Amino acid sequence: MSTTTTTTPRKRGVVERLSKSWLYIGLIGIGLVSFVRIVTDTDDLTAAGTIRAAIIATCPILAAALGGLWAERAGVVNIGLEGQMILGTWGAAFFTYHYGPWVGIAGAALLGLVGGLLHAVATVTFGVDHIVSGVAINLIGAGTATYLAEAIFPEYEGGGPRQLNGLEAPTQITIPGVSDLANTIADKHWFFVSDIASFIQALTTNISTLSLLVFALVVVSAVVLWRTSFGLRLRSCGENPQAAETLGVNVYFYKYVAVLISGALAGIGGGFLALVASSGFSTGQTGGRGYIGLAAMIFGNWRPGGLLAGALTFGYTDSLRLRDTQSVHSLLLLVALGLLAFAALRAYRRQVRGAVAVTIAGLAVLAWFLSTDSVPREFTVMTPYVTTLFVLALGAQRLRMPAADGETYRKGSAG
Amino acid sequence: MPSAVDAVQLRGIGKRFPGVIANQDVDVTIRSGTVHALIGENGAGKSTLMKILYGVQRPDDGTITIEGKGVVLKSPTEAIEAGVGMVFQHFMLADNLTVLENMVLGAEKLHGIGDGARTEIRRISDRFGFDLDPDVLVEKLGVAARQRLEIAKVLYRGARIIILDEPTAVLVPQEVEALFVNLRELTAAGNSVLFISHKLDEVLDIADDITVMRRGTTVGTADPRTATKHELAELMVGSELPSPETAESTVTETVELSLQDITLTDEFGRDLLSGLSLNIRRGEVLGIAGVEGNGQSELVETIMGMRIPTSGRIMLGDQDVTHWHTRQLREAGIGYVPEDRHRHGLLLEAPLWENRILGHQTKAPSVKGPWINRKGARQDTERIVRDYDVRAPGIDTPVRALSGGNQQKLIVGREMSGDPVLLIASHPTRGVDVGAQAAIWGHIKHARRAGLAVLLVSADLDELIGLSDTIQVILRGRFVGTFDPAQVTPQDLGAAMTGGEAA
Ligand SMILES: Nc1ncnc2c1ncn2[C@@H]1O[C@H](COP(=O)(O)OP(=O)(O)OP(=O)(O)O)[C@@H](O)[C@H]1O
Ligand SMILES: [Mg+2]
Repeated sequence: MSTTTTTTPRKRGVVERLSKSWLYIGLIGIGLVSFVRIVTDTDDLTAAGTIRAAIIATCPILAAALGGLWAERAGVVNIGLEGQMILGTWGAAFFTYHYGPWVGIAGAALLGLVGGLLHAVATVTFGVDHIVSGVAINLIGAGTATYLAEAIFPEYEGGGPRQLNGLEAPTQITIPGVSDLANTIADKHWFFVSDIASFIQALTTNISTLSLLVFALVVVSAVVLWRTSFGLRLRSCGENPQAAETLGVNVYFYKYVAVLISGALAGIGGGFLALVASSGFSTGQTGGRGYIGLAAMIFGNWRPGGLLAGALTFGYTDSLRLRDTQSVHSLLLLVALGLLAFAALRAYRRQVRGAVAVTIAGLAVLAWFLSTDSVPREFTVMTPYVTTLFVLALGAQRLRMPAADGETYRKGSAG
Repeated sequence: MPSAVDAVQLRGIGKRFPGVIANQDVDVTIRSGTVHALIGENGAGKSTLMKILYGVQRPDDGTITIEGKGVVLKSPTEAIEAGVGMVFQHFMLADNLTVLENMVLGAEKLHGIGDGARTEIRRISDRFGFDLDPDVLVEKLGVAARQRLEIAKVLYRGARIIILDEPTAVLVPQEVEALFVNLRELTAAGNSVLFISHKLDEVLDIADDITVMRRGTTVGTADPRTATKHELAELMVGSELPSPETAESTVTETVELSLQDITLTDEFGRDLLSGLSLNIRRGEVLGIAGVEGNGQSELVETIMGMRIPTSGRIMLGDQDVTHWHTRQLREAGIGYVPEDRHRHGLLLEAPLWENRILGHQTKAPSVKGPWINRKGARQDTERIVRDYDVRAPGIDTPVRALSGGNQQKLIVGREMSGDPVLLIASHPTRGVDVGAQAAIWGHIKHARRAGLAVLLVSADLDELIGLSDTIQVILRGRFVGTFDPAQVTPQDLGAAMTGGEAA
């Protein structure tokens, strides 16, 4: 009947497609970094230490971003991630102190989940504006955690009104043979090979099992959301809840589940901060990472691969800045080359205007790199934010949020 | 084969909304294995009744009996379990999901969500000639493809009682005929169909029984073997059946819209429109006939500045408007009736008078200087409601609470206001009853006499033939034939639309 469609059976699944393209992008990225490392002679750029720090900086943001993904895919904007994360830091501290780190993580998830429940009750059941409820949860989360810490922690060993130190961390894993071999190769500072080796070294030496868990959760989320009927129903609630309702989907139920999982994930992110990223709880520890996670998720186009890229970029630049200010300068070259590569891609796709604009931006950064020796200190603080914004804004050609995201849904409004 | 037990019995159904009685004392009996048509003017309460039968809305009074068992339906889930399936008057599809995902949603248990489902969709699609590709995003589909998908969704679920709320409004006769063949097969297999349409020919063609509704209640039944269109129209709206015949030609010499060799290419380099040229003069109605999906939507969106043509030129009067933005075009006096009133054209949660401002937000009477002119907009909305017979409790009602046909009347009324020089109308009378259809045709003819140029895209061949001064047939993005409506028959047009023969 209609004559414009073609029928090419496309069977490749989301996960497969993503993993493939991300593998290429990853390899090209490492090549670029390696090149910049050699040209600018800043070995710190891919030192195993940097990468380890990067992983640690990435995980909390990644967990928060995943939390955002779950909620928004079901049509609920969860700006309360920050508050749920704060609750998570407290939960992790309290439960770890009493029962050890794994119960601690569960406790972090539980407290985050309570924050999620609050948000779900407000937005789904009572139809409160999602932003209003989210902001309220951020305030409540921060207040509650501070209050509970002051009330309980001073009596604990290593505790005070604003912190609880000396918590046991989750197990770390080292794979002996691989770790040493990688270390040897990394120290040679060869092009590409040594960078990969550093990477492997960081992944096989004293890596926290909690980091591995958070990365695994990205894959699990992708599979559950895109490969199961549960995930399909959940996403349909974010795209067109009325349509979902007419097909027998219990929209309220899926929204609740999504927001609860969202809160739990944010809580785990908070737990990571208290147990892995530092050696204990302190108030105000999240430092806006919930919001950054949300931003990574948005610029990552509401997709697991995208938010992973966002969180990694942020984590990497953040750790780089803390280790060595010289390497921030080298980062300029990296950004310049990245922009130029991207411009080439645009030109290849014959998007002339885009290509020209990106080329100009790339050349400007290159000129900055060549004409200076260091980056002003004020700027280094912004590096992670600016770089992440750059990478994700360029990477995501067209952002597409779930169509009914942030809208209040009422049963019986279909038709 | 009608069996002893009735498929559905609705008794004394009542439903009230604030300020409106949508249903009152409604009695309908659907015999098993039949097609039962439900007809009535816009706002008569047909869709409301169907939503009650599908569990979307709870009735205030009355009882529902399905296959002999009394039921209380609290949600669509329960209706689905009782064997009911429904195609809604407005599409219930998620744009950002694929055809497959929309199809299997809620029915994942039947064939899974992977290759099993894909095979089943292909089977349904081939069997009924639906031409659905499971892996395309719904966002890419035109209205007719969406409509076919909606019908396929119900078939996929294997419902025994199928409600079709205006499934044919945007389908051309061939597609309608294919659908009817399927419906007959379904009823022969013992299923029952509830069919709503404003196209009385179709109703007489397919129905075994007819129930007529007016002002929220059932006012009578008709026998399709003996009834005529005129009798049905009388029963429905209490008035004569209109005809879209135009009297004398009002075509002038001045060209208002001119397309010169317009080509539009999609992201894969395929031509959606290839080398289209046309001229519409002041006072002329140019009809575009074609099976939906052959470039009509793209043509309209290109003219409206929603797509930029890959090559070619668009002239409005003597100005080159090829690269103009939609707002500039509208300010230059183009009215636009979109093909899908819910996707484009309306804010469902906003009141009528705010919707009146949409698309006219820079022109009087909607604005005064930089400010919105509440009073002016409201007054003008009152005028539209009066002139176009939009049945609504008031102009502060959200548009969602209007019946489908009344939403359409509001859009047409809005687009005809402010004396446009050019009207781009896709299915302008989609879903409006015969009375209102006549009124809209009357308004278009009136404006045409005053010099309005019209591009009319429609699936209703009678409308095309009756209103147009010239008809162009579009097929695969090309014009394949020009017809004079005074000479052409619907059969000729139908043949040309499917590439049978070009004149
Ligand atoms: N959600 C609602 N809230 C308030 N009023 C409503 C709602 N839904 C329908 N109505 C009103 O109920 C009446 C019947 O509407 P309904 O949609 O059933 O008409 P219909 O017969 O399907 O008309 P059409 O042929 O135009 O589709 C109308 O007056 C409409 O304004
Ligand atoms: Mg209706």
